Amino acid sequence: MRWERLGLVFDLQAHPLPFGIGAFAQGPQALVLDDRVRVYFSTRSRDPDGKYRSLVAFADFTRDLSAVLGVSQSPVIEPGGLGTFDEHGIFPMTVLAQGDRVFGYTTGWSRRVSVSVETGIGLAISRDGGLTFTRHGTGPVLSATLNEPFLVGDGIVRVIGGRFHMWYIFGTQWTRPAPGAEAERVYKIGHATSADGIAWVKEDGRRIVPDRLGPTECQALPTVFDRDGRHHMVFCYREQVGFRTDPARGYRLGHAWSDDLATWTRDDAMPGLPGGPGAWDGAMQCYPNAFTCDGATYLLYNGDAFGRFGFGAARLVG
Amino acid sequence: MAVHDRPWLKEFAQAPSALICGDVVRIYFSCRPPADAAGQYVSHSAYVDLDRADLFTIRAVAEAPILPLGQTGTFDEFGVYPVSVIRHGDEVRAYYAGWTRCESVPFNTAIGCAVSRDGGMRFERLGPGPILPYGPDEPFVMSGPKVRVFGGTWYLFYIAGRSWKMHGGRAEPVYRIRMATSPDGLTWTKAGRDLIPPRIEPDEAQASPDVFFADGRYHMHFCYRYSTDYRSHERGYRIGYAWSDDLVTWTRADERAGLDVSAEGWDAQMVSYPHVFAVDGRTYLAYLGNDVGRGGFGLAVLDGPMG
Repeated sequence: MRWERLGLVFDLQAHPLPFGIGAFAQGPQALVLDDRVRVYFSTRSRDPDGKYRSLVAFADFTRDLSAVLGVSQSPVIEPGGLGTFDEHGIFPMTVLAQGDRVFGYTTGWSRRVSVSVETGIGLAISRDGGLTFTRHGTGPVLSATLNEPFLVGDGIVRVIGGRFHMWYIFGTQWTRPAPGAEAERVYKIGHATSADGIAWVKEDGRRIVPDRLGPTECQALPTVFDRDGRHHMVFCYREQVGFRTDPARGYRLGHAWSDDLATWTRDDAMPGLPGGPGAWDGAMQCYPNAFTCDGATYLLYNGDAFGRFGFGAARLVG
Repeated sequence: MAVHDRPWLKEFAQAPSALICGDVVRIYFSCRPPADAAGQYVSHSAYVDLDRADLFTIRAVAEAPILPLGQTGTFDEFGVYPVSVIRHGDEVRAYYAGWTRCESVPFNTAIGCAVSRDGGMRFERLGPGPILPYGPDEPFVMSGPKVRVFGGTWYLFYIAGRSWKMHGGRAEPVYRIRMATSPDGLTWTKAGRDLIPPRIEPDEAQASPDVFFADGRYHMHFCYRYSTDYRSHERGYRIGYAWSDDLVTWTRADERAGLDVSAEGWDAQMVSYPHVFAVDGRTYLAYLGNDVGRGGFGLAVLDGPMG
């Protein structure tokens, strides 16, 4: 089992959006429609004070990802209200088809004073095939609890055996690498279940994927697919500090597998997606999303600079 | 009483909450050191021990805050206020609101839980995060917890924000009274609705839902105010009242609260943050006066039946 690269399938400069700053297509998430694959991602606008704000957009592809059919003409969800958990942007939004509705699980960002940001996971629902989404309430469906004190985000949902499963991340520490330096976060992958996709029961603090880089390893954007009767999770992981500039400390893809959705065995070597020097994803690979279409399993992901230029794809072979 | 040797206890004595401890009545409250250079406060919680035989005689004041502030990035990094305490076996549990600072609005709050094993002097968090999460209809500003046990079930009365209003360049939160129940005080099920309808305006803000059982009925005292310009006599906090036979359906009857602002003095501008407790056959209402407790808190004693 290995991934065959399809390259940079969405180049933002070749398919510009009519909003945003023309950079970043982060956290690609696929929704398979009858005649196309719609891939949601977050692009960015810039506030008057220079701070970025993430907006959810999409690009439509042929079902084999070989061609871009079009891009969204406006963000798919309105900005959050004053003081809400998603007031300062949504990144990422994951999607789940539910009959004639589409559930969008949003990671909302709101800015803080002592640390840069806090996040929570909201639910937004589309009734027009994924063109626009309306919030289910102004607050999150999943947020901080006793043993997951902050930075709940990156929720991705699948229905398995009639039960909704969410894999997501929660923060474990905000620490300063040096006195006076900005606090940097550490986050781990967790798991929650639900009967309806709205009311969730967390395992509250259980870190389901073992660390490879030690206690300060940051794990993000889990995605789960099945192959030969086994559950596979792909995610990205990095060091707590130095990850923005040092490729050796930046995001790369990790992997774990499970037969019971409870115990996960980490095996990063297994799915193998080695970087190529000088390529668009040579320095960084992050924010994966696996999906199946017409019998093929694909992996969408971002490359260098956290997806500034677009996103790429790979196809599972062997 | 003036306290001079505790720099963390410089101003305010907010949100009183009583615990009977032998021959003293321990009143927990929240206080603040002086504001920092940017004018920002933090809040700590502490207690004062009142002589059980004469509640106007102070026997002791906490030597230190009952709970340190939270770590970087946690919900209670900048304040522990208010607290509500309850005995549970050999332990004392404190349910409290933690404060963090935000960019677009001044703050957010969430409800945490801490436990004391030394009779209520020092508390430790059950965990670094809140015990009651935000939800789709409780998006922010969860605060004012008041914990009770009735008939073996734990009840948490609290407030949840519903909107932030911009008024005169300030963001002002609007919040309402909510409830959750639990078999153990740890795992909570939210009722998911506002208990008390607004009376003075649609955006009325309500706080400090304090429930007391007497004469075969549940009595709730709370405080309410206008959503804007509420730092004045006319629009500031007043004490409201509602009653219930089942803790689910509440009938509001503010005219029966039994306490209004005084004609003059420390509680003439506003009255807020009521807390009812009984000791030795008498029922008291502790509350805050002007400037939401900048100078301290007061007591009223019940005369006749409640409500």
